[in-house]
Amino acid sequence: MSGPVRIVLVDDHGMFRSGVRAELGAESSIEVVGEAADVPTAVAVVHATHPDVVLLDVHLPGGSERPGGREVLHACVDLLGGDSPVRFLALSVSDAAEDVIAVIRAGARGYVTKTISGPELAAAVHRVADGDAVFSPRLAGFVLDAFGAGAGEVASVDDELDRLTQREREVMRLIARGYAYKEVAKELYLSVKTVETHVSAVLRKLQLSNRYELTRWAADRRLL
Amino acid sequence: MATTSKQGTGRQDQAVAPARAAWTPPPVVPVVPPARPPLVRPASGRVLAGVAAGLAAHLGVPVRVVRIGLVVGVVLGGVGAVLYLWLWALVPSAQAVPGVDAPAMPAGAPTPASASAPASVRGAPWAGPPAGRVGDLLVGGLLLLAGGALLGQRFGYDISLSIVLPLLVVLGGAVLAYTQLDEVERSRWASIAGGSTRSAVLRVVAGLCLVLIGVVLVVVQGDLASAGRVLVAAVAVLGGAAVVLAPWGLRLWRDLDAERAARAREAERSEIAAHLHDSVLQTLALIQRRSDDPVQVARLARAQERDLRSWLYGGDPVDAGSVAAQVKAAAAEVEDRHGASIEVVVVGDRPADDRTSALVAALREAMVNAVKHGQPTSFSPGQVPVQVYVEATADGVEAFVRDRGCGFDLDAVPADRLGVRESIVARMQRHGGGATVRSTAGEGTEVRLEMPADPAEATA
Repeated sequence: MSGPVRIVLVDDHGMFRSGVRAELGAESSIEVVGEAADVPTAVAVVHATHPDVVLLDVHLPGGSERPGGREVLHACVDLLGGDSPVRFLALSVSDAAEDVIAVIRAGARGYVTKTISGPELAAAVHRVADGDAVFSPRLAGFVLDAFGAGAGEVASVDDELDRLTQREREVMRLIARGYAYKEVAKELYLSVKTVETHVSAVLRKLQLSNRYELTRWAADRRLL
Repeated sequence: MATTSKQGTGRQDQAVAPARAAWTPPPVVPVVPPARPPLVRPASGRVLAGVAAGLAAHLGVPVRVVRIGLVVGVVLGGVGAVLYLWLWALVPSAQAVPGVDAPAMPAGAPTPASASAPASVRGAPWAGPPAGRVGDLLVGGLLLLAGGALLGQRFGYDISLSIVLPLLVVLGGAVLAYTQLDEVERSRWASIAGGSTRSAVLRVVAGLCLVLIGVVLVVVQGDLASAGRVLVAAVAVLGGAAVVLAPWGLRLWRDLDAERAARAREAERSEIAAHLHDSVLQTLALIQRRSDDPVQVARLARAQERDLRSWLYGGDPVDAGSVAAQVKAAAAEVEDRHGASIEVVVVGDRPADDRTSALVAALREAMVNAVKHGQPTSFSPGQVPVQVYVEATADGVEAFVRDRGCGFDLDAVPADRLGVRESIVARMQRHGGGATVRSTAGEGTEVRLEMPADPAEATA
C-alpha cells in the first residue's frame, strides 16, 4: 500500500476524537481525513472521503436503531467490498457481548476497547487496512466461550462454521492471554502471516456462523 | 402491609367497643381484643364472590356455618341473598390497594348485625365512599331495592310477578357482568396477567344477554308477537350505543395505557438517577477534591468504572460461589489496593471448591506481583493493564497472569523472597496443582496456574 493510511474518526465525544487525532497524528503513516459525531454525518463523511479505515464508535447518537455503529455499517455496506474497500474497526468502552457481536456481524473487521494505547491503536489500524482482523483479548475470550472452545469443542473440518479448529483455538487463547500477533507467532512457531490468516478465519466464522450462543445474543436484541 | 394491620386494629376497636358497653367489662385485666382479620373478600377459597369466606374469617366461624346461614336466609324471604349481595358490593377484595379499601371498610364492618335498608342509609354518608366505589354502591342500592321489593311482597304489598321477574333477570345479568368487573380489578391489583380471558368474555356476553332478555320482558309484558320487533330494536340501540361509544372508550383505554407507561418510565428514570447520584456524582466530587494526587484519581476512576460496568452490563448472573466470580472479585480487590488496572477474561465457569479457592488465592498473589513489579517504568501506573486469562472447564481450571514488565530470572531470585515460591508455586502443589513462571527480560512475565478437578469428583 502506498502513502499513509487514510482514516475517518467516528465518535460522539469530541474529547476522545481529539485525543485519538493527537495520538495517531504523530504517526506519519496515518492521516486523519475526516471526523463525524453521529450516524448521518458518519455515513456522509465516509461516502465523501472513501477512507481506508473507519474508526467506529459502537454507541452513536442520531440513528434510528441501536447500537448506532451498526447502522453506519449497514448504510455503508456498498463500500465494504470492491477493489478498495473501506474497512471498519470498532471502538468501544462497552464489554457487552451483544454490542461486539452487533458490529462484527454487520461487517466490522475488528474490535478494540477505548483503553487501548496509541501505538497499539496505530498497529491495529494498519492491520485492518491490510485486510486482517483485530481481536482484543476480551473478544478472543468471547469467541472461545461462544464457540465452546473453552470446553474443548474443536472442529474436525477446517471450514466448519460452528466450531474453531485446534490451531484457531490456540491462537485465540494466546490473544486472550494478552499476546500480540508477533508473540503468538513466536509461541506457536508460525509466521505472523499465518497467525493473521487464522484470526481472519475466526472473524469469518464469527460473522457467518449460526451457532446458538452467537445467534442468541443477536436474536435477543433483534440484531439479525 | 403496615396500613392493613393498622386498619385491622382500628376497626377492631370499633367492633369491640359496643360489646364492652353491653356486657360489663372485666375490671382488672386489660381487654385484649381478639386478633380478628379485617373484613375482606379473600382471593382464594371463593365459591361466588368470597363473601362467605371473608365473613367466616372475620367472625372466626367455620365457612360452612356462614354458608348454611346464608342459604337459610335466602329461603326465608331472600334476606340471605340481599345480605350477600350487599356485602359483595361493599366489602373490598383482598388485593385492593389499602388506600382504596380503607374508607370502604367502616361501611362494611358493622353490617353483619343488621341488613335492613335504614342501616345502609345511615351508613352511606358517614362512610364517605370514594369516587371509585360509587359504581359498587349503585349496584348495592339496586340490589337493596330488589330485596325491599321481595320483602314488601312478603308483607302483603302485592307486586306483579311480570315486573319482578324481568327485573330479576336484569339483576342476574348485572351480577354476571359485575363478577367480570371484579375479576378485572383483581387482576389489575395483583397484576395476574393472562389466564381466563375466554371465560371473561363469555361472562360479559352472558350478562349482556340476560340484561337484554330482561329489558325485552319488561317492555313486551306478555305480548309475544311484538317480542321480535322489540328485540331487534333493543339490539339496534345497543349496537348504536356501542358504535358511538367505542372510539371514546378506546381513547380512554389508550390514555390509561400511556399514563401507565409514563409512570413506569418515570420510576425507571428516578432509579437510574438515584444510582448515578450515589456512585458517579460522589466519585466525581472526590476526584475534584483529590485532583492533586494522580494515583488516587486513577484509583477512584477505575473503581467507579468497574462499579458502573457491573451495573450496566451485569446481565450475566454470576453467583458468588463460582470460579469466575471469585476471580473477578480478587482482581477488583488488587486493583483497588494497588491502583493498577487488570483486564480479566474468563472463559467457562464452574462451582468453586477448595482446590479452585487455592488457585484463586495463588492467582491473587500473582496479580499483586504483576502489578507491583510488572509495570514498565516509562508508563504511568495503570497504562498497560495486567492481562488475566482464566479457563474453567469440567476438567479443571487454568489461569494465566501476564504483565509487560522488565521480567526476571526465577532462579536468581534470592531465597528470602518468598512471594512467588511459597505463596504461588508451593500453594498450588499442596492442593494438587501446578504453577510455572516464564519470564523474559525486557518482555514481561507470565505465570501459569493449573488446577485439575478433584479426581474424586470426576469419578463420582
